[in-house]
Amino acid sequence: MTTAVVTGVGVVGSFGCGLNALAEALRASRPVLVEVDRAAGYHLPESARTAALIGAADLTAWVPPASARRMSPPSKLAVAAARMATEEAGGDGEAGLTEVVLATAFGPASFTERMLRGLLAEGPGTASPFLFTECVANAPAAQVAIAGQARGPNITVTQREAGPLLALGRAAADVATGSVERALTGAADESPPLVHALLDRYRALSRPGADGGEAARPFDRRRSGFCLGEGATVLVVEEEAAARTRGARILARVRAWGSAFDPSASRVSWGCGHEPLARAARRMLDRASLAPSDIDLVVSGASGSVAGDRLEAATLHALWGEAPLPPVLAPKSVTGEYGGAQLGAAILATAGAEFGPTAGFETFDPELRVIPHAGGPLPLPRRVLVSSLAGGGAAAWVVLERP
Amino acid sequence: MASEAKGRRRAVITGLGAVSAWGWGVGLLREGLRSGRTAIGPFQRFDHTRHRTHVAGEVPAGPPPRFARGPRWARLSLADRFAVFAAREALAQAGLEGPLDERLAGVFFASSTGGMLESERYFTELVRPGARPPLGLMSSQQINGPGDAVARDLRVTGPVQTLSSACASGALALEAALAAIRAGEVDLALAGGSDSLCEITYSGFNALRAVDEVPCRPFREGRAGMSIGEGAGVLILESLEHARARGATPLAELRGSGASCDASHMTAPHPEGAGAALALARAFADASLDPSEVGFINAHGTGTPLNDAAEFAAFKCAFGARASEIPLTSTKGVVGHLLGSSGAIEAIASVLGLRDREVHPTPGGGRVDPAIGARLVLDTPQAVPDARVAVSTSLAFGGSNVALVLARWD
Repeated sequence: MTTAVVTGVGVVGSFGCGLNALAEALRASRPVLVEVDRAAGYHLPESARTAALIGAADLTAWVPPASARRMSPPSKLAVAAARMATEEAGGDGEAGLTEVVLATAFGPASFTERMLRGLLAEGPGTASPFLFTECVANAPAAQVAIAGQARGPNITVTQREAGPLLALGRAAADVATGSVERALTGAADESPPLVHALLDRYRALSRPGADGGEAARPFDRRRSGFCLGEGATVLVVEEEAAARTRGARILARVRAWGSAFDPSASRVSWGCGHEPLARAARRMLDRASLAPSDIDLVVSGASGSVAGDRLEAATLHALWGEAPLPPVLAPKSVTGEYGGAQLGAAILATAGAEFGPTAGFETFDPELRVIPHAGGPLPLPRRVLVSSLAGGGAAAWVVLERP
Repeated sequence: MASEAKGRRRAVITGLGAVSAWGWGVGLLREGLRSGRTAIGPFQRFDHTRHRTHVAGEVPAGPPPRFARGPRWARLSLADRFAVFAAREALAQAGLEGPLDERLAGVFFASSTGGMLESERYFTELVRPGARPPLGLMSSQQINGPGDAVARDLRVTGPVQTLSSACASGALALEAALAAIRAGEVDLALAGGSDSLCEITYSGFNALRAVDEVPCRPFREGRAGMSIGEGAGVLILESLEHARARGATPLAELRGSGASCDASHMTAPHPEGAGAALALARAFADASLDPSEVGFINAHGTGTPLNDAAEFAAFKCAFGARASEIPLTSTKGVVGHLLGSSGAIEAIASVLGLRDREVHPTPGGGRVDPAIGARLVLDTPQAVPDARVAVSTSLAFGGSNVALVLARWD
């Protein structure tokens, strides 16, 4: 086994394009929200109104229009993020075998919706081969491979909120075992009005009628749901010695990865199995010869979800036992849920970037007993635990280490 | 064995479960595979009168009455039900039963569309003005639905992940399970996949003109496309130590796997099968086996003109002149293309072949395509008493390729 390191990051989200744009949004604690288009009639009168959407982002620097017209929205986002990441990583991208491992929660949903609408309105005879080709979940990963001539394994992970960390763990494992020379890994998600309306019907999103209004409030007593986001995040992961040999800038070492499942969860929500989850996280640390005391910072997947944040808080407390938790960051109230920006936030946190006070957090919840970062200086961490628990029961963790 | 020489844990297969157009259960699948007949034909899963083609590999009504459905059964999507049935069947064959929360167990699953069949019904209602369709129809729409349903049913607390790389997903799930066992993340893995027929997939492949109007005819002259099927396949993988410790008898060993990507086109395979050949080479290296040891091939074999030609080109690259001598079969000719779960059910067919020392025939009329020159097994099972190693290939939309190397256990 060798070690896997991150040498490049590309990210696109409501905050803009690139890691600097994400860093600025997190420093300012400023979610960029827009009104969701309700014209299709999917929403209820009381539904959530806003989401952290990308809008008309200019991706032409990374995806030429001639290529973009053959791609679904998440494919475009993924290719743009991959090009950003590989440009930052430098080196000869075609040397050796490159793997692509991308996560997506719901796949290219807008193209699937268009396929369905076409079937209903006009029948199957007018189905578009292009739409069908790009509505499969693995279209973004395939387009990234085509754009970058990545001939290694091409894998799409669909495990909702746990997907991005599962993807990073898989990439790190394959690099560490020498199965591939490098990997492009992360997530790509789009959130059209249909996805927004459906998640709202499950009461997953914060609504305007909530106590304190519509806002993502991680770990807050008044939390009422998350804010939907979209975007793409791609990391370049490669073997550490090779990266050092070519003089690459190493952003983080992927020190450990692990995952588990909470069978007490319903199909769409979170369960109450924090003790088994904490045991699984501890096993992950044990395998890497680490203890909770070796972790200086947590980049939590807490999003403002009522049940999800409860499980996250209980799992963290169970993992640390009697010891106090290290500082906890909860970037999803800025980035929105989905799109993998949590991975970019974790890289920034590992590098010691400045984070503003946790957006949306105002009221301590005595049940959760977590006060997320309130702004001000953070310790330069040796290691960062990145955590994400998914609706439905899956859970994933990664430990990043400052090189 | 070579795997031990590399210092890796070995992964053996101790249980199989399947739902296919031949019925609910691996026994029915085995009978169907051996019969030389296809289960592809007219179907009723949805109204297809306006579609271009009218055949599919549809799973008959089920499960059998003796199957304990449990209180959650009614809320499961069809793909979830296939998955849960196959998982419990596989676990029972392995001599195990749930709950599995005290074991280091994981679920590595595949699906292409999850509960899309139910989502289509929901969406049809949703677009009607003023309608409030029941959310239960949507709850299993997630692609991770079938894998999560298995984990929930058996109370799995280890890693659970769903892979959705189109038609390569099932084989990728087996590869992920193999990696998790080697790494010591799990001792026991339920690996497989599940998909149900749905209209969006059926119309999409028809739009691509990739569906034959008659049951598919892999590697035959005049073949004109695939036949879509549905069902699930689940294999129980264990570390050899875990299996030995509980006195289990392995059915076969998953010796190695290799994956690659064509990185050339979203739908068309590389014409020389370069990506598939790379996957095969990686699989043999991973298994520390020479291609000359392969006794039969379970090909991806969709029946599309491009796939079968490109795939056999990859076999020529991997096996040289011997490619035309190795018995070759396509399970898709028997049960159709199970999309995300096809790699799993084809791995099951390969394990059955190794255990029974025979290769199942590939139904379909007409002569074997002379331009390809495959030694396709026809009509009746072909005895392969000396076959110790089988290869199963999966090639997907988007260029993802996987080859699995399975070895007989005796």
